[in-house]
Amino acid sequence: MRRLLPVVACLLSAWSAAPVAEEVLISHPSVAAGEMSLNTTRLMFSMQLRQWPDGLPVQVFVLPDNSQVHRAFAKDRLSLYPRQLRRVWDRQLYSGTGQVPETVDSEQQMRDRVASTPGSVGYLSSEMIDDTVKVLEIR
Amino acid sequence: MTRSKYSKFAECVHRHAPPTGLLVCSLVLPGAAGAFEVGPGIQVHGFLTQGYFNTTDNRVYGDSQDGSFDFREVGINASYRASPSVTLAGQLLSRLAGDLDDGSPTIDYALVDWNLVETSDYAFGTMFGRIKNTLGFYNDTRDVAFTRPSIVLPQQVYFDNVRNLLLSADGIKAYGRFYNDWGSVSIDAAAGIANVDENVEISFMGMDFGGTLDADDLAFVARAEYESPGGAWRAAISGAKAKLAFSRAPTDPVGNGQIDFLYWIASLQYNAERWSLTAEYMEEPAEFTNFGPLLDGQDSTPQGYYLQGSYLIRNDLEWTVRYTEGFFDKDDRDGSRNAAATGGLVPAHNFFRKDWTVGLRWDVTPNFMLRAEYQWVDGTWSLSRRENPNPAATVKDWEMFSLLGSYRF
Repeated sequence: MRRLLPVVACLLSAWSAAPVAEEVLISHPSVAAGEMSLNTTRLMFSMQLRQWPDGLPVQVFVLPDNSQVHRAFAKDRLSLYPRQLRRVWDRQLYSGTGQVPETVDSEQQMRDRVASTPGSVGYLSSEMIDDTVKVLEIR
Repeated sequence: MTRSKYSKFAECVHRHAPPTGLLVCSLVLPGAAGAFEVGPGIQVHGFLTQGYFNTTDNRVYGDSQDGSFDFREVGINASYRASPSVTLAGQLLSRLAGDLDDGSPTIDYALVDWNLVETSDYAFGTMFGRIKNTLGFYNDTRDVAFTRPSIVLPQQVYFDNVRNLLLSADGIKAYGRFYNDWGSVSIDAAAGIANVDENVEISFMGMDFGGTLDADDLAFVARAEYESPGGAWRAAISGAKAKLAFSRAPTDPVGNGQIDFLYWIASLQYNAERWSLTAEYMEEPAEFTNFGPLLDGQDSTPQGYYLQGSYLIRNDLEWTVRYTEGFFDKDDRDGSRNAAATGGLVPAHNFFRKDWTVGLRWDVTPNFMLRAEYQWVDGTWSLSRRENPNPAATVKDWEMFSLLGSYRF
């Protein structure tokens, strides 16, 4: 039994070190910012901050409401429940006081659209990141 | 949505008869859901809702005692971001609602939003055109099933009878948003001309007289709303002040009178991950002058409030329970005084309404939703006089079962 302990400890540390998919904020490579505050990120995803400081329009891409990546990004990165994002978008859309993000079908499509749309922001799970998009830190 | 997907969707809708085609195609082509991308900065969205109402007694949206499908809401909206600070937006709405609304298309909103400044600390702007009135948590999107907390809004707070009066106004609005570490504050203030129709006249004056009731002077609408960081807490206070003027027809037994009213709502909500609690309180003091003895005694303060709890059983399945009360006159909660004033013609239960509602919402897909609800009701206040012309024939204790399906793109 005593001999097994190091094995168990080793297994446990391997478990915790295994790559855990984490959702990260991404943007078009031309976006100047390297990091964004939580407040700014929330305002962009709720479509209430529609311009970058240089005047370029912000283009927001999201995955469908029932996507695991969307749910995780909203909850863990924005500290918002997906329902609250939907409520804000719906209210703006159906009262004519704002626009809504563009919904893409897959992470592949998310990466393609963000990579090809200047001023865009979106999110991906970390293993989907490549050099076509820029990763932004949320402070 | 990409062009190829759009044409596939359009083809599919074309093959089936609308409106079922829309529903069928949205289900068989799940990827088709999403905005139509018409051009840069342009968004087009829409929704289609069908309801079914079955009551033990009294009429709600048609002949509900036999089961009524006379409830349908169809909307299509478009917005165009003309420049970083100017957005144009409009929505067409067709609403079929029993004897209250015949489905003819109306302009729900049509506005220009001019954003003067927008930063991550604050934003200021102004709007012109037909603007939805920001009243309570739900008035500005009250015809969109996806945004409602139940199949129909709690009637004791959001009267359907006067929806057109409170829905929107043609005028101007100024807004400010302030973002802080302790949360955000939004302020909206608008002035405009309210929309008065026959439902409003019948509701305020008791019947459709020969003369007409119209907006007199500008209506004012304002709301202040606080939201904690992340949106767990929301609180709002909102109100509308308006004046209506009646021009009598020669045969009318009333004079050229005025109705002054204030409609205000206090709202509070707490959101946890899987559940939420919402409470709203409404009062609407109204004053009748110069009508003569038949109506000038009608001054009263209607009052309504509810407490609703919702719980997510699964991410796509939500239970709701709500208790609501409302009174035609907050100083005559059992209706006895108002009933006596009519000489017993209008029974006391016409002056109050208390109900329990339980409901289930299933989000089949992010763009297609089904709902079922049951309601136990004591009293008939807030029922449409148009659909129930004889108050003495209404039944005090009644129940309602309703179903609703809604699709959006």
